[in-house]
Amino acid sequence: MKLLTKTSRYYLILSGIVFIISGLIFYHLLQRVFYTQLDRTLKDEKLLIEETINYSDSVPDFRTIFGHLIEVTILYQPNRKAEFIHDTIMYNGEQGKFLSYRHLFAENTSIRNKGYTINIYKPLHETETLVAGIVIVIALVFISLLILLVILNYIISRRVWIPFHRILYNLGSYDINQEKPLKLVKTDIYEFGLLNQAMEKMSNKIRQDFINLKEFNENAAHELQTPLAVIKSKLDLLIQHENLNEDQLQLISSVYDATTRMSKLNQGLLLISKIENEQFTTKEEINLSQVIDKTLEHFEEMIDHLHIEVIKNYQESVIIRINRILAEIMITNLVSNAIKHNHQSGSMNIVLTSARLIISNSGQPLGVDPDDLFERFRKSGTSGDSVGLGLSIVRKIAQLYHMQINYQYADGIHSLLLSF
Amino acid sequence: MKILLIEDEKELALSIAAYLQKENYRCEVVFNFNDAVEKINLYQYDCIIVDITLPDGSGMNVIRILKKNKCETGIIIISAKNSLDDKISGLETGADDYLTKPFHLPELNARIKSIIRRRSFGGVNEIVVNEIRILPEQMEVFVNDSPIILTKKEYDLLIFFLSNKDRVLTKESIAEHLWGDEMDMADSFDFIYTHIKNLRKKIMEKGGQDYILTIYGMGYKFTDS
Repeated sequence: MKLLTKTSRYYLILSGIVFIISGLIFYHLLQRVFYTQLDRTLKDEKLLIEETINYSDSVPDFRTIFGHLIEVTILYQPNRKAEFIHDTIMYNGEQGKFLSYRHLFAENTSIRNKGYTINIYKPLHETETLVAGIVIVIALVFISLLILLVILNYIISRRVWIPFHRILYNLGSYDINQEKPLKLVKTDIYEFGLLNQAMEKMSNKIRQDFINLKEFNENAAHELQTPLAVIKSKLDLLIQHENLNEDQLQLISSVYDATTRMSKLNQGLLLISKIENEQFTTKEEINLSQVIDKTLEHFEEMIDHLHIEVIKNYQESVIIRINRILAEIMITNLVSNAIKHNHQSGSMNIVLTSARLIISNSGQPLGVDPDDLFERFRKSGTSGDSVGLGLSIVRKIAQLYHMQINYQYADGIHSLLLSF
Repeated sequence: MKILLIEDEKELALSIAAYLQKENYRCEVVFNFNDAVEKINLYQYDCIIVDITLPDGSGMNVIRILKKNKCETGIIIISAKNSLDDKISGLETGADDYLTKPFHLPELNARIKSIIRRRSFGGVNEIVVNEIRILPEQMEVFVNDSPIILTKKEYDLLIFFLSNKDRVLTKESIAEHLWGDEMDMADSFDFIYTHIKNLRKKIMEKGGQDYILTIYGMGYKFTDS
């Protein structure tokens, strides 16, 4: 739920509750005021009636005077004095239905030494209608005020939160790989200013760490090249000695192998950090089928040696915009992967369409989790000499050009799918 | 044959010099830019091997000075930077070849030989070892004057062997010479053996000798002694 919806909802619910409670209180207060007023009128009328009787010593038709039902009867049992007011329901002949009335009942003996009973009925429904009317008008005013407030609140909040949403958007679209720092949002709101500062500080730190890490990777790999070159050259000299025995040769051979692997590993890591640092910027139109054919030609002897049958199925000439070196590295890694993990008299199937390249090969089932296949240094146990960077380099290149690389295995056939 | 090696990493420079001296080259070594400039202004060399990153200057400027002096010297760049831009700018400046560290010494040796061969205008541009004769420009090989047909890789292999005669060549350096860095295969060495066997067979079919010795656990050696 959006922040604005949430606050608006709370605002509405709370205002509604306050409105209902205050409405009820208001209604009761209003009614009490009206009753007090009504009762006072009833008492005044009673006094007036008593005075009239006292003055004229007769009982005139009060109904025509006051306009509502008044009954005055002569009381034959004197010495009684009582008075009360209450609500009552009576049949109204004019309207033909029961209506509620405020009823004053009084017994009095003090008028010219005679006793009278006075009943005054004032209709309540008029009062009720009035109260209801007032309540409705006030409720309408209240409700429209509430709606106005909610709308205003919505509009103001939305405007006030604009910088926050911009900050969020900028954070979401922030790419640490790009050179650009986190975009800041101008705001005069203190809290958002603080948020901005905190985000800026954090993103700068992350960026700096990221750059340091990349630089470290590249520098470390790069600085290792020279000592490796020294070791390699010394070994090349050492093996030229005439009088080395078999044991010594065996030892040197092991060192040589390890050095070669280390040097390949280093080159692979260096390549990955170069791809990550986007040092391959130039792009050109590359005809993939040509690159594949060239690569196959390059590995021809090895393919022949293993008696691998290569089936090519190029549906059209596919041209993609990519760096030439990276295209060649990617295809070379995929093809060499298909040779390396193949077996004697196996097969390699290459399908190329405008949407994807599939290179499949026969081979032993994977020794690693397929999800880890593209991670660095994940390799199947069957080929111990490989350094395990080939596919992770392929994935890095694919990521650089927003391509998808996937792995599938079915019926002894491994497939690598590259979708452009 | 005079060679100047400009390399600031002393141990590497000494290894290269030691390897090249056995080829009967006169190899002079300098470790910095200033000494290099002094040398190239004083003497003529057949080939110069130069590192790009020197403590007191760029190897690139050494090449520029050589080109300004209109030297006919062959130039090989050796650099720890395996970047295409460096390679291209190096070759555009006038270098003949570019080798990325770490490299195998036989590889460097083969490249030097190839450059010297290409530059020896007028001289006899062919390689002769007893009954084997190679015309590098036409990429033709004769054994006892009858031509033999080699694949591109077999031809490269033969040249690599002849460039490093009497030297032990490891399987790794052969694989890297023929297939480049991407050779990262477990059983690749078996198949280098097959390859060498084929080359041997083709030479011996025309009455050539078996010059290729197997060095146990290490590699191979081409020798006629």
